[in-house]
Amino acid sequence: MPAAIETIQLTKTYKSRSLGLINVVDKLDLTVQEGEIFGFLGPNGAGKTTTIKMLLGIINPSAGEGYVLGKEIGDLNVHKVISYLPERPYYYEYMTGMEILKFYGSLFGIRDEKKFQSLLERVNLAGDASKIIAQYSKGMQQRIGLAQSLINDPKLLFLDEPTAGLDPIAHTEIRDLILQFRNEGRTVFISSHELSEVERICDRVAIINKGVIERQGHLDELLKGARIEIIADDVPKETATKFEGPDTIVSYSSNRLIVDIPEGANVGAVIDELRNAKASIVSVIPRRRRLEDLFVETVGGKNAKKLVVESPEVVA
Amino acid sequence: MWKIRKKLYGVGAVLLIVAATLQMTYIHPKWRKDYSPEAGGLVASQLSPEQILLQLFGFREFLAGILWVRADGFFDAGNYDAILPIIRVCTILDPHNIDIYATGMWHIAYNFTDQEQRSNRRYIPIALALAKDGIKNNPNTYELYFETGWLWYQKIDDNPSEAVKYFQEMVKKKDVLPAREDLLANAYFRDQKIMTGLNWYFHLYKEAIARAKKDTFYANSQIRDTLESNIDNTIIRMIQRGYLAQKRNDGSYEKGDYDTKPPFNVGFSAKVTVVRPRVLRVTGTWNVLPVGCRIRFIVRDLHYPNALPAELDWNKNDNFNFNLPTNLTYMQDQLFCKDQRFDRVENMSKDPTMYPFDSNHYLLEFFYDPAFGAPHIQDKFGWNGVGMTDPNFLNTQIRKGVRVIYATLELSKDQILMRGQWQNRHATVETSNFKESSPTESMTNIVKVPSLRGN
Amino acid sequence: MGAVWNIAATTVGEAIRRRVLLVILMIGVLLLTIIPSLSVLSARSDDSVTVGTMFAVMRGTSALLAIVLTVYMIPNEIERRTIYTILSKPVQRWQFFLGKYLGAVLSLLLMITLMTVFMLVVYAIFQNHHASRLLSLAQQPVMYWIEMSLLAAVAICISTFVTPLINIFLSFGVWLVGTVLNPLYDTIANNSKSIPIMKSISKLIVSLVPNFADYDTKNPLINPGQPIQNQGLYYFTTIFYGVVWIALLLIIGALIFDRREV
Repeated sequence: MPAAIETIQLTKTYKSRSLGLINVVDKLDLTVQEGEIFGFLGPNGAGKTTTIKMLLGIINPSAGEGYVLGKEIGDLNVHKVISYLPERPYYYEYMTGMEILKFYGSLFGIRDEKKFQSLLERVNLAGDASKIIAQYSKGMQQRIGLAQSLINDPKLLFLDEPTAGLDPIAHTEIRDLILQFRNEGRTVFISSHELSEVERICDRVAIINKGVIERQGHLDELLKGARIEIIADDVPKETATKFEGPDTIVSYSSNRLIVDIPEGANVGAVIDELRNAKASIVSVIPRRRRLEDLFVETVGGKNAKKLVVESPEVVA
Repeated sequence: MWKIRKKLYGVGAVLLIVAATLQMTYIHPKWRKDYSPEAGGLVASQLSPEQILLQLFGFREFLAGILWVRADGFFDAGNYDAILPIIRVCTILDPHNIDIYATGMWHIAYNFTDQEQRSNRRYIPIALALAKDGIKNNPNTYELYFETGWLWYQKIDDNPSEAVKYFQEMVKKKDVLPAREDLLANAYFRDQKIMTGLNWYFHLYKEAIARAKKDTFYANSQIRDTLESNIDNTIIRMIQRGYLAQKRNDGSYEKGDYDTKPPFNVGFSAKVTVVRPRVLRVTGTWNVLPVGCRIRFIVRDLHYPNALPAELDWNKNDNFNFNLPTNLTYMQDQLFCKDQRFDRVENMSKDPTMYPFDSNHYLLEFFYDPAFGAPHIQDKFGWNGVGMTDPNFLNTQIRKGVRVIYATLELSKDQILMRGQWQNRHATVETSNFKESSPTESMTNIVKVPSLRGN
Repeated sequence: MGAVWNIAATTVGEAIRRRVLLVILMIGVLLLTIIPSLSVLSARSDDSVTVGTMFAVMRGTSALLAIVLTVYMIPNEIERRTIYTILSKPVQRWQFFLGKYLGAVLSLLLMITLMTVFMLVVYAIFQNHHASRLLSLAQQPVMYWIEMSLLAAVAICISTFVTPLINIFLSFGVWLVGTVLNPLYDTIANNSKSIPIMKSISKLIVSLVPNFADYDTKNPLINPGQPIQNQGLYYFTTIFYGVVWIALLLIIGALIFDRREV
């Protein structure tokens, strides 16, 4: 199967007055297969949007090559079968939902009102088709954005932060729509830093930081290796220090100890040690590795371990 | 992509050349000819920067209006020097604003007066230059021809052919008011073209009849009736004053009995005394009527450039400028005659800037032209002075075809200013025939004035 | 061309709803309606003052509209990211650029038409309602529309490489220079006292700057009477001149915009 997106050493360099030349995207090698949902992750300013703009031909790469659906980037023919939903897009506020679709449809030469109607139904906006955009909520605006991005039945969709700033219900709606796209055989390229969202829907991810791809692969592979978390109270300080080790994360405060060890390590030994110290064991929880962990490990450097422990989700 | 860009650069260069060529060869000359609001002199127009900006944005007429209101304020304050530049700027900004020209030239010619309400006639060439400029910019309306003709006819009160010239142009314009048209006849009469004047009346009369028939509007019939009576009067005058007999030139005038015969001796004499520095008392005799004659009296530099007998070369300026000859003196007034004499004090001491008395010698001129007299005087003197004579001062040279009275005296600067040897003496100059008279003297030898009523 | 027209149409739709433009337009219309009362400044020439000032107000308002409308057009699209949704469709950059420009031109047509209607109504009520006079007065706004389309082309061309605020000053400056070009050129190039180098420079400037004064043909309308020969040819030539300049500016703008990183 040919790749939907392939980049070879794709680079974008900007000149900055204070910092000189900066590689916003640095020798990017990326492959997205057809029919998958691909998560493109990275902190703010990592180069995600720049990469998408290069793939869309909106800005020109400084070096390297890129192919979208087998064609070199910038080829206008590709634009007929791809679509792009920018982060927090703005639509002409005076237009109604229907008019927005008509306008974007016209750019493809599409004037099929039935199609527009069915798109509106699909994003659950059929009842609001004649309302102007200024009266739409953020979620509705995002949904009309998705509808416009489906006008040309795209084979490949670029979604830039599709759930940013939305409430939980809107999150769910958007997520469901994206999953439907995959079921319809479309390739979806999501750029995001909302990790839980990506983890739920993406097949593969790439993590970009400071313009460089740090990790790339299937989620299953990347998240391989579950861990076990042991929580105990009334633990003396001397005991707590005993558990420190290269692959162990230890947190201790107010006599409560949290030990996080890899699956396969000796859980029994830890529990025995705690019993010997007359500590009371609160919980022992086996836990799958999360994308957030991976992300923070990749991007966040040494501070990551501490962060993981303090994460409220982990404690709960 | 590079190939397309290169081609587009070429196309752009061609477009630039096309645009520049069009602009230089056709558009600009045409715009200048037909659409330019005559912006020339923008820099020299003495506008403030914000006013230049205003006018650049097209508010020319508006700005001219504002400035014009301001000029009126200066006039009220007597600041004449400030008015001339403003009038000029107004006419540059809005060269088609008739009011600015008409009112401007009227202000300049009439209202720049001294403390005794005598106009400063040194301004008249400037007023006429403004009039010429206005006519050049507005050749299609009658108004400025009328205003200029009227200036000659009424203010300058001399050179009737000039008034005729402008009134003739005036009546050619489509927008001329019917009530203005008979002025041309009056100008013809002054210019000794009596028959032409009468024919013009007839021409207007025909038009007035047609107009009154077409439109029964009251003014139309009124104009018709006025013309009718004017024609009657003119014909009667032509007969009574012996005009037709003179024209026949076969001795019938000499043989016949006309109101203008025999020529009446006006008995002119004059004496001028310096009573105070720059103050002259002018007395003299004039044997005409209890009232009705005004003798022109002029005091001017003896060697005033371009001066003519009893007048200046009013027409010498063709371009409007602010160059008033401030070192020259020219005072003109009317001596009002009553009880066979005139007696007037000409006080020039209150306006030293208007009457600088810079040069050493001054000419005093006395002038009477019957062509400009009132009709009842003309009934005796005729249009051309045939019924008037004077043993000493009759002059048939200085005004072509008219017998006028012209006398001159001279005074020196020291005499007028009472300086030097004249410090404590009152200089007096008089005509050789001068005899003292007093207002109470009985009226003898009064001209018998014929009248249309027949007494 | 479908894309160009559709982009132009949405541009118009948006332009006629921009509050700042509506405020400028309203002020212009308001001024137009109070002008007859200003004409008392000149009792007998009230017609020429009225017409002259009305046209001046209309020209100034239109220029302000043209500049404010156009300088924000492309930067706004970039800031609001609408440009990305459009350029990710099969739309060429030049099509987007041209569409935006045509939108500006059509918006100006609407606005100038509105002002013209107001002006003619006010004029008919207060001054003169002869159809022939009104018709001849209506010629000038057509020329203003061409002039403002040219100004919009200048502004949109400049907007491809500078920020809107600087662009306002630049476009305004170009307009100002282009407006005083004719009188300036007359003062320098047609003056026997000017030195030759100044003459050459003034000729160069006249060739390199679009001339806006050509479109100011109101003088014969303010002071009717002098017959003008070949008026039609003049109008045609100046409109053609405007189109040539617009094409040139759009090519330059499109070439820059094509390379522009948005």
